[in-house]
Amino acid sequence: MKRRDFLKTGALAGAALTLSFDSLQAALASKQVAVEKAPDLVAVMGGEPGLMLEKALEALGGIEKYVRSGQRVVIKPNIGWDRTPELAGNTNPELVAALVKKCLAAGASKVTVFDHTCDNWQKCYDRSGIADAVKAAGGVIVPANEEVYYKEVSLPQGVNLKKAKVHEALLDADVWLNVPVLKNHGGAKMTISMKNYMGIVWDRGFFHKNDLQQCIADICTWEKRPALNIVDAYRVMRQNGPQGKSAADVSVLKTLIVSSDIVAADTAAVRFFNQVEKMDISAVGHLGKGEAHKLGSTDLDKITIKRIKVG
Amino acid sequence: MKRNYLKETRVVLAILVFLSVTLFFVDSWHLLPDSFHAFLHWQFVPAVLAGMWSIVVALLLLAFVFGRVYCSVICPAGILQDIFIRLTRRRRTKHKRKYGFRYRKAYNLFRYALLAIVIVTFLWGINGLLVLLDPYSNYGRIASNLFRPVVIWINNGLAAGLASVNNYTLYHITVRYITVGSLAASVAAFVLFAAMSVLRGRLFCNTLCPVGAVLSIFSRYSLFRISFDKTACNSCGNCERTCKAECIDSREQTVDGSRCIACFDCISSCKKGGLQYRFIPTYHSTQEAKAPASPAVTETSRRTFLAAGGALLGTLPLLPAWARSKRGAVRHEPVIPPGAVSKERFTDLCTACHLCVVKCPNQVLKPAGLEYGWEYMLKPHVVYDRAYCNYECTVCSEVCPTSAIRPLTVEEKMTTQVGIAHFEKDLCVVYNAGTDCGACSEHCSTQAVRMVPYKGSLRIPVVDPSICIGCGGCEYICPVRPARAIHVVANAVQQRVRKPEYEQVEEKQVDDFGF
Repeated sequence: MKRRDFLKTGALAGAALTLSFDSLQAALASKQVAVEKAPDLVAVMGGEPGLMLEKALEALGGIEKYVRSGQRVVIKPNIGWDRTPELAGNTNPELVAALVKKCLAAGASKVTVFDHTCDNWQKCYDRSGIADAVKAAGGVIVPANEEVYYKEVSLPQGVNLKKAKVHEALLDADVWLNVPVLKNHGGAKMTISMKNYMGIVWDRGFFHKNDLQQCIADICTWEKRPALNIVDAYRVMRQNGPQGKSAADVSVLKTLIVSSDIVAADTAAVRFFNQVEKMDISAVGHLGKGEAHKLGSTDLDKITIKRIKVG
Repeated sequence: MKRNYLKETRVVLAILVFLSVTLFFVDSWHLLPDSFHAFLHWQFVPAVLAGMWSIVVALLLLAFVFGRVYCSVICPAGILQDIFIRLTRRRRTKHKRKYGFRYRKAYNLFRYALLAIVIVTFLWGINGLLVLLDPYSNYGRIASNLFRPVVIWINNGLAAGLASVNNYTLYHITVRYITVGSLAASVAAFVLFAAMSVLRGRLFCNTLCPVGAVLSIFSRYSLFRISFDKTACNSCGNCERTCKAECIDSREQTVDGSRCIACFDCISSCKKGGLQYRFIPTYHSTQEAKAPASPAVTETSRRTFLAAGGALLGTLPLLPAWARSKRGAVRHEPVIPPGAVSKERFTDLCTACHLCVVKCPNQVLKPAGLEYGWEYMLKPHVVYDRAYCNYECTVCSEVCPTSAIRPLTVEEKMTTQVGIAHFEKDLCVVYNAGTDCGACSEHCSTQAVRMVPYKGSLRIPVVDPSICIGCGGCEYICPVRPARAIHVVANAVQQRVRKPEYEQVEEKQVDDFGF
């Protein structure tokens, strides 16, 4: 892209966001724009997963801002269930594949993908379509089904959860990307970015025994934070989550929400979810507890949001 | 010396069979497809139990035409014994006279009495003896509980090495299916096979083995058989010392066809060509008639065996009552694998080869010890402490060679109820701690366990027994210890339940972000 094109696109995007006709005119007149500050959160609607990711990353200033050449990257989707992509139990494989490619294009030395699955891990990896998608995109999908892969980390800020065993791929990584799927959840009420952390730890029983919502917030205080939380809402499981019973539980909403603020990303996702199924945001206890841990903000008015509709 | 093509063929076939059967049991990488189990239908006892009569007849015919080829080529336990013999006898060839085998009388009364007891007890509904004596099942247990862990251990070492160079073709596996009972039984069988074969060759096959006993009845009259060429034989005794079945009497120049396992070793042992494998229909052969042994030996052994056999037979009527008394003493019933139909049917047909146990991708099947009584000894039951039964998985039912677990379609599996989840509210996290949990409902394959409104925003599980299939997802994941707040109670007879109904909800369109 030529500099001029870039400037024009940037100007147009800025114009669309602010609707400030004056500044556009001034910018066009001087053929100059100040570099736009990247928004805190980007939401994209109406496209295929790959395209929406493209748009979102573009708005955030490109994947290069988060992944640098030579870095080891971990992508952590939700691959919890032995379900096909249509049933929306797992993160969309197209999204994962597109993200792997993005990271490799940015010069990542290695892109690793894993999840501590609930169903049999091989069946989950296969049926979700994620194993094949990752391999085809040039990433490495690694097992996470055995305790040997996990190493203990301490969580000094944790209220109930003071330490946890985390997958070694994450410990080795320079940067990681949290890529959950937006779902209803029978226990945690909703499963989005914060709940997706339960797939990086070995002992989840402890979470359930010691106030699930608190432990979810506690694990998110681990010092190694995801560079981005990329919430897949292409297909959304409205009810009977997290497994779902059939395609009747799923709505195709073609949306993607991206933010480095994990609480904001999840808050936005719950608000979005409320359009198809009622979910009291205060019932999703880990959000408030996460905010108390200063992990991010549930007040979406305090952050800058960019909304993009494509297609 | 002339090449012994018969022996060479036997050895090659035996190695192929042994390696493939063993690989099927230790195969942690799915190199062999599950459909390979069809090969195991050629094992005699499974074929009988599965009612594959054409195979049974074929195997009997094989014995009648060619002798007990089964024992040296098809039976993995037989081949295992040959391996023991080979490993320990080879260096003794120089001292054959001292260490070689020698001809012994057949323990006919013992072996046929034992066979009779095995058959009668089986018909009586007790298959414990068959479980302990069937060579295939014994070998299955040895391969599952002794060989497979070694293979997995090696695999884990390789996996760790490969992972360090970014190769994840192999992955770490934790062995969880082995129990004290299964390990003890496998070690005992391994030691028994090793000791008997090293000391006395194929003694197991000619005394304890019920398959050997059945086949011996047919091989006694087999059309092709080993026999002496009396003009070539100089009675050197090499053949006798080579014969692991201890069935060649070189002085009398007789071969006991009922014990000969058709290994063809004797042919090689004779430089004179004094032993040959020939077509000799029984009605021609008078030379094979019982060799007159010394009357004294006959008398004592006959008396011993009559006494032993009589004593064994005498205990027969007591067995069912004894087994029943044990049944009553068991408190919890085992959850039997999906497709096993009923506990009664399953315990009748399963010979505890542990193939399903090693093939279960979740290691949810474990061999029982004696906790469910003798009739359930070593047989697999579903244990939910570390795993649960995958909703759409039918592997155990597919691979079972005796069809003790009947083959299920995926649709049948998903509606086969092996037990019902029971919820104990007073143990539940939601009730006791007042915090969210829902792990049980989360793992429920059918949503038979659902979360319903409880206090405030809290939700608590309820079970719908009409769609619960007892997969144990709830029990496995329930965080409460020591007793879990939800657990599966076995169905003695498996039920078919309806498929969960899916509410049809109109498709919702969203045009806005909502924030």
